[in-house]
Amino acid sequence: MLEGKNLIVFFENAIAVNNLSFYVNKGEIVGILGSNGAGKTTLMNTISGLIMDMKLKEERKGGERITVLGQLLFEGKDITDLEPHKRVELGIVLSRERHPVFLESTVEENLRIAACSRRPKESRIGIDFVYSIFPHLKTIRKRRAGFLSGGEQQMLSIGMALMTKPKLILLDEPLLGLSPILQKELVRAIKEIRDDGVTVLITEQFARPILPIIDRGYVMENGMLVMEGKGSELIENPEVKAAYFGV
Amino acid sequence: MIRKERIDRGIKVRSDDIYAISSYREILYLLLPRVIPVLCLLLLPTLLGSYYERVIIISCLMGLLALSWDLLASIGLFSLGQAFFFGVGGYASGFFSYQLGLPVPYSIVLGTVSGALVCTLLLAPVLRLKGVYFSIVTLAFPLFFVRIIESTKILGGTEGITGISPIGNSWIELYIPIFVFLFSLFGLRRLINSDYGIVLQAIRDNDRAVISSGINVYAYKLECTFIVSLLSCFSGAFMTHIYQAVGLSAFALDYSLLPLTSAVLGGVGTFAGPAIGTFILVPLSEFLRVFGTLRVVFYSVILFLCIVLLPEGIFPFLKRKYHQIERFVEV
Repeated sequence: MLEGKNLIVFFENAIAVNNLSFYVNKGEIVGILGSNGAGKTTLMNTISGLIMDMKLKEERKGGERITVLGQLLFEGKDITDLEPHKRVELGIVLSRERHPVFLESTVEENLRIAACSRRPKESRIGIDFVYSIFPHLKTIRKRRAGFLSGGEQQMLSIGMALMTKPKLILLDEPLLGLSPILQKELVRAIKEIRDDGVTVLITEQFARPILPIIDRGYVMENGMLVMEGKGSELIENPEVKAAYFGV
Repeated sequence: MIRKERIDRGIKVRSDDIYAISSYREILYLLLPRVIPVLCLLLLPTLLGSYYERVIIISCLMGLLALSWDLLASIGLFSLGQAFFFGVGGYASGFFSYQLGLPVPYSIVLGTVSGALVCTLLLAPVLRLKGVYFSIVTLAFPLFFVRIIESTKILGGTEGITGISPIGNSWIELYIPIFVFLFSLFGLRRLINSDYGIVLQAIRDNDRAVISSGINVYAYKLECTFIVSLLSCFSGAFMTHIYQAVGLSAFALDYSLLPLTSAVLGGVGTFAGPAIGTFILVPLSEFLRVFGTLRVVFYSVILFLCIVLLPEGIFPFLKRKYHQIERFVEV
């Protein structure tokens, strides 16, 4: 479904993603594991196309020059130079790190904003779908997003990504800063999203909660892939154990 | 595949605040961009004749306004009313010189300091505002003063104060603005990189974080406003003595907009940027006088083109080009 061939991303003279090749099959949950600064977020931005926007802004400001090389294929089409909003139309949606939501709007307004590229009727169905995955959001739907807890904002952020009816959802560190109970709840939701026919690409630092549900995983270090394998293989792997389980 | 690479050709050894200078080349590399503009500014007026001497004086005084705008912007307060400081300084020195009959140096110094105090006191209650709210309030301040002077007929009413004693010596009239301008330019550039200036920038970035590290943000803003008012009031006070008159036009919108546009043109937050900006915009508007009433149109078109094509500002652009070599490399 999604395939990256020899992706390289430079931030000025520093290399953030180094010669990365990977693929995601339809209906899979693929995990990308790595410590801070491994290039996970840059990879996510590259896939979702946000990096094109950052590149343009930095160029205008005369700031860091961002260079993207390599090839990205989505369902056989080359999307390397596509703008981010067109990638959303194709069905690639990113839920960004640290749950950015519209703080001044209520939960339901947030969901409606996220669905603004779709017709109102579909947006109604989308909202119901999000509520069915996160029943808790329905009970707080009139509350302003700024007053939600971190976990609730994270749910909302994933819900907003789901509103555009994606084929591939990119989750950037969805479990960041959540309690183990909430992590469990989110992991269940991610599984449910996959069961509903959405392919999931997920990045995470802490492998423990998500390793059991991922089909395949890649391990990144300093922008390079160092390991790849099935979820169950990675659990058994002594290096992964040492690095991401703290055993 | 090819990509463009940037290499810094800057100083090789650089400790905290002291440049470790190893060769004449490095010294020249450091000094040239500073010395050349300063020398130009000091020598050009003697070569150009009295008309352009006047243009340079006005550029320096407007440059002070732009520098003070930039200092206010670097604490996160975007003022739309630089004319307020300018006018208060002008009227204060006019008052001291004409109504109290003080000699020129005293009236300029007293006008600057008392004007700055008045401005700081009036702005103190609104310093808690942020963003567009502060801009609106500062936009209203000059208008407020204009109406007060108009209706109460104090300080000469609509006619203003005329017949203020001139500065007299043309050398003093030329070099005092230049020296004050250069001193504030390099002083402010130093200030903003000192510990004090870092706090100012931090307040712009995230004032709550500054509060939680135990710093009184309000006091910092007040001090900063006082410095800003000093510079702008000096500009107004000096201008009063050059024109030998001060009127309601001292509160005109031009004096609010010129600092802003020159800062945007030159590069906000760099101090050198606004300085370069005023030295482009003020002479430019003089050169464009040949177009008569179309002057403003050409002026706006040039400004528009500059801002669209160089959004980072002239100074950051030049600085980057000076410090970096760019070349293509194969990946």
